Amino acid sequence: MSTTPTLLRPATATDVAGMLRDGRAICGGTDLLVQRRAGAPVASMIDLTAIRDGVPVLEETAAGDLRLSALHALTEITSALGEELGPLREAVAVFASTTIRNRATLGGNLANGSPAADTVPPLLVLDAVIDVVTPDGGTRAVPLADFLLGPGRVQLGEQEWIRTVTIPAAARGGVRPDAGFRKIGGRAAQAISFLSMAWQWRTSEDGRLTDVRLAMGAVAPTVVRLTAVERLLEGTTPGPEQIEAAAAAVDQDIRPIDDLRASAAYRRRCAAGLVREALGALATRPPRDERQHPWT
Amino acid sequence: MRLNGVEIGSVPAELHGMRLLDYLRAERGLTGAKEGCGMGECGSCTVVVDGAAVTSCLVLVGQVLDAEIRTVEGLADAGHEPLQRAFVARQAVQCGYCIPGVLNSCAALLDRVPDPDDDQIRTALDGNLCRCTAYNRFYDAVHDAACERRTDEAGPA
Repeated sequence: MSTTPTLLRPATATDVAGMLRDGRAICGGTDLLVQRRAGAPVASMIDLTAIRDGVPVLEETAAGDLRLSALHALTEITSALGEELGPLREAVAVFASTTIRNRATLGGNLANGSPAADTVPPLLVLDAVIDVVTPDGGTRAVPLADFLLGPGRVQLGEQEWIRTVTIPAAARGGVRPDAGFRKIGGRAAQAISFLSMAWQWRTSEDGRLTDVRLAMGAVAPTVVRLTAVERLLEGTTPGPEQIEAAAAAVDQDIRPIDDLRASAAYRRRCAAGLVREALGALATRPPRDERQHPWT
Repeated sequence: MRLNGVEIGSVPAELHGMRLLDYLRAERGLTGAKEGCGMGECGSCTVVVDGAAVTSCLVLVGQVLDAEIRTVEGLADAGHEPLQRAFVARQAVQCGYCIPGVLNSCAALLDRVPDPDDDQIRTALDGNLCRCTAYNRFYDAVHDAACERRTDEAGPA
């Protein structure tokens, strides 16, 4: 066993300032403690879980935005969400395992900056804004698209930490949007995604898709919005030709690499397949609720 | 911290950075939780913290000082003896290494969902690896335990 590091546990957000100068922030610990075991030097940790008491799991602002705690476990967030934010709830349902979902947080998943992080495609689809606490105790709001800089890199300065994640009212999807999340991994549980995709759009009465949003993970240095596909689909009623054009267009939006989990070529094929699946061109399973798993 | 229903006095600060798994085994003598992978992948160190099954290799003692913790040693006192008996009756245990973790995951599920279906049991166990692959027997045992509890609650016929 490695030497026992120190752990400080600030009780309020005010106490955090200063402490982060000498240590790493930890919340669920489901990634940091794995990195530490693999040899990453982590001498001192600042536990943010006690601050949860001052941060609601979920609150709705006067403007109708949804503000999610970045410090609570993913299962607490999804329990509070009810029918809201379908793509995020579906992503959490296939995130690692029950035991990890009971600890892991949105803050940790975001701060890690992994291009394969499963909560990021849905948050990007939902135009999430990251509420970062600065060392002087202030807050700055960073759109998620700007927050993600590259593999393991995010726009989080020295001694800054993530308090909440805000979903603007306009992105909430309204009544029954068509939305979902799919991941491709080595197995159903505990898999780091080879590829993941979240989507959301509305279908008008005459069958046209509006407010089309798609985002894909593990196909570029950061999770990316599929802007070419979105443009192609916006306002259309996708038939077979449109669906094939969309599946082809995804190539312009992604820059996959060969890595230990999958090859770039395989990722390109999967990316096209996921677009087809989202558009209903393949015989797909019905949308899963939280407790169900892909093998059922 | 409450551990298996008993209030533990204050935990010295130098132990706050210790993994809950090491604390339970080395400091409290509770060796039910096992270290398998140490990375949250296998689930053999699963314990229940405030009602939620978690891998104790990824929790630090200082994070759970105000929490209620239950290990396999406290399972029967928490009303889960029927679950343990069902595991025996269904011969759901072979090598046994994963069992404390599996029992804790199943118990946390039963506390939340009194009569779970197979999907719910599968999801509850998605973080618990069993190399002897007794999963289907785990499902049967959980159904038995749920059934027994239902029958008990209904009272004598």
